[in-house]
Amino acid sequence: MEGCPRNRETCPKLLDLIPQERKWYHDEGKNNTDQEKKLELRLAPPGGDEEDGSVMKKKNTKKEAEDKTIFNLSGNHFSPSNKTNYAPHHISQKRTAPGPVVGWPPVRSFRKNLASSSSSKLGNDQINKSGDGEKQAEPKREGMFVKINMDSVPIGRKVDLSAYGSYEQLSFAVDKLFRGLLAAQRDASGGEGEGKPIIGLLDGKGEFTLTYEDNEGDKMLVGDVPWQMFVSSVKRLRVIKSSEISSALRFGCSKEDKMRN
Amino acid sequence: MNRAIKSRLSTSEMNYFPDEVIEHIFDFIASHRDRNSISLVNKSWHKIERYSRHQVFIGNCYAISPERLIRRFPCLRSLTLKGKPHFADFNLVPHEWGGFLHPWIDALAKGRVGLEELRLKRMVVSDESLELLSRSFVSFKSLVLVSCDGFTTDGLASVAANCRHLRELDLQENEIDDHRGQWLNCFPDTCTTLVSLNFACLKGETNLAALERLVARSPNLKSLKVNRAVPLEALTRLMSCAPQLVDLGVGCYENEPEPESFAKLMAAIKKCTLLRSLSGFSEVAPVCLTAFYPICENLTSLNLSYAAELQGNHLIEFVQFCKRVQRLWILDSIGDKGLEIVASSCKELQELRVFPSDPHDEEDNNTAVTEVGLVAISAGCPKLHSILYFCKQMTNEALITVARNCPNFIRFRLCILEPNKPDPITSQSLDEGFGAIVQACKGLRRLSVSGLLTDKVFLYIGMYAEQLEMLSIAFAGDTDKGMLYVLNGCKKLRKLEIRDSPFGNAALLADVGKYETMRSLWMSSCEVTLGGCKRLARNAPWLNVEIINENESGRMERNEEDEREKVDRLYLYRTVVGTRRDAPPCVTIL
Repeated sequence: MEGCPRNRETCPKLLDLIPQERKWYHDEGKNNTDQEKKLELRLAPPGGDEEDGSVMKKKNTKKEAEDKTIFNLSGNHFSPSNKTNYAPHHISQKRTAPGPVVGWPPVRSFRKNLASSSSSKLGNDQINKSGDGEKQAEPKREGMFVKINMDSVPIGRKVDLSAYGSYEQLSFAVDKLFRGLLAAQRDASGGEGEGKPIIGLLDGKGEFTLTYEDNEGDKMLVGDVPWQMFVSSVKRLRVIKSSEISSALRFGCSKEDKMRN
Repeated sequence: MNRAIKSRLSTSEMNYFPDEVIEHIFDFIASHRDRNSISLVNKSWHKIERYSRHQVFIGNCYAISPERLIRRFPCLRSLTLKGKPHFADFNLVPHEWGGFLHPWIDALAKGRVGLEELRLKRMVVSDESLELLSRSFVSFKSLVLVSCDGFTTDGLASVAANCRHLRELDLQENEIDDHRGQWLNCFPDTCTTLVSLNFACLKGETNLAALERLVARSPNLKSLKVNRAVPLEALTRLMSCAPQLVDLGVGCYENEPEPESFAKLMAAIKKCTLLRSLSGFSEVAPVCLTAFYPICENLTSLNLSYAAELQGNHLIEFVQFCKRVQRLWILDSIGDKGLEIVASSCKELQELRVFPSDPHDEEDNNTAVTEVGLVAISAGCPKLHSILYFCKQMTNEALITVARNCPNFIRFRLCILEPNKPDPITSQSLDEGFGAIVQACKGLRRLSVSGLLTDKVFLYIGMYAEQLEMLSIAFAGDTDKGMLYVLNGCKKLRKLEIRDSPFGNAALLADVGKYETMRSLWMSSCEVTLGGCKRLARNAPWLNVEIINENESGRMERNEEDEREKVDRLYLYRTVVGTRRDAPPCVTIL
């Protein structure tokens, strides 16, 4: 098991640090056993290495000499001068990544969109044209998309609450979103066209009622609080049959129930 | 290959056996590496091995050409091909980079190869290729596509319609354009041979009637993974006519079901006594998960990593009863507490993956996991050998403890979500922690490092990670020495992928011959320059050195002055067929 790479001629001996017997040494001849001990691996919690700093400084003075030789190989201009002071805290000298970084964290695109409530659906953010898919996938914070489901309709939708200014507008949007889907569910032979408008979502008088789940997990009737307060606390919407209001709200203890007891 | 057998059967003795006998002996040798070794013994064995090789694995589709492959292995039946580099999964490789399947199908068809099985990973597959595939190979049985793209449900329709003996159609995490057609209908009524059907990644509507008919006439069906458009009632019917299922992927059940539907579902589930693997749940009301309680003790594999809707407590409630689970994929919403419960309940656990539910910390939640969960798992699960762990933070002490608890790791992939993050308690780098892992885990084959790391960690890796085959580095290291420690030390290294680390030409050029022993090297946002890459390409004609730049037109304007320009993305790999001709403009092959 050679400790040396293939091309002995081009390999700088200075960096031949992994020899056969698994004891590492500097080929330069400066056999510094103190350093050896410091870099020796111990299975113990860190914190006992106060001498680390001084050892590193010692290492750095050697490093400059080595580095010059290495870089003569390729005529590279890479200058290590700004990295001579090793300190465990020098995060500023590292490649820090400010803000969202392309391809980080390393998860597949469809996983990125799982929890975020303002993602775009149906995979169009996965197709990147030249590695900038990450930028495309970042949702804009201005849009406020929440999910909305309707009883007896298996597929849900999403609404952008920032596009509306009032409950009436929201109610109208819900009608537009679900009218066709509801008609399709109810009439499988699909003859009737658009179907009946979905009205009375807010006053309990229609066939359906609009409810929502707030940021505390409670299920609420839509319409009680000022619009802005609603927008800031809503997590998702649900259109339920008006006849089932009491049983639907039972599954999450509503604030009304809590207050009544 | 068993060295004892090799020494006992000297080749001169074996040559007295007819070829068929030798071939029969070779049949017992399945591993690709062993097969490759046998073929090097002598000409006779090379020839016999060639004709008896039925399974070929090609880790990089550009390392060899389809024509040469077929010339050497004319009796090929099963082919595995991998295309794009791993970082393509994270949008670091242009969509049109390459990895096209068509030339392979074309050559296999022309060569009249009796292909039965095709497994692809990160390849670009077209509907035309699928159509050609379906018409060219009479005995075709198994198609497995992982992370591929470029095709639509029309391609699937061809496969369904024309592959008379299809047993397996397994689509994992592909980007498929769903034309909402009737591809499921295209399975002829005479098709009753299906053993495995996975279309979970399809995004559109599914013809439920066709699916139910297909399942009903497939008595051998063991694995069924449906997509999100299969509602609860349909799932119930499917399970009722396939109680023999071993592996099930469910759809999406946001709405809480009616009690009657729920009861029917539970009844159907109870009958699936052979069920061992469960996945899907892309969106699920918590109560739907509870329907699976009756069989959860039988589960050996559980993937809840798409279930972003489930809170930690729902996950814990379920997972704690999965006492036999060996493979668990879960979201970090389970929390450290949840992992502690997993550690005390799931003693058979071998592989754990904890994915981030909120990768960009948008929701500002505090439930992400930390070193506490990892330590608990390492202490509680003695059979653990593979882990992928996304976490908020990690400490050296924890990693040292984990190393001591679990010296059997084969795969250890740790991703601290914030780049360069140090040990939060000591503010030091994580060199010591990872060092402990590589020192203790002598069988470690795959490693991904993260957090604040200096060159020292790579010294440790080079010194101790003797079996390491794949290493992933991001935002780590100080100087070229880091990379050199790895290249010099890890003798079995096959794949090295590096991003955003200060390694440059000196490291790249130090040992050009090393790359011949490796499958590939990826470096992006590092310090290598165009000049360095050109020099490498000149000194190593057996390598394809590819430069990927954002800016397509840059290729034409490049002149001598730009040799100092840093290369955005470098991907190099050994090949016996030279430069490929299908590279797009944004890729320059030196």
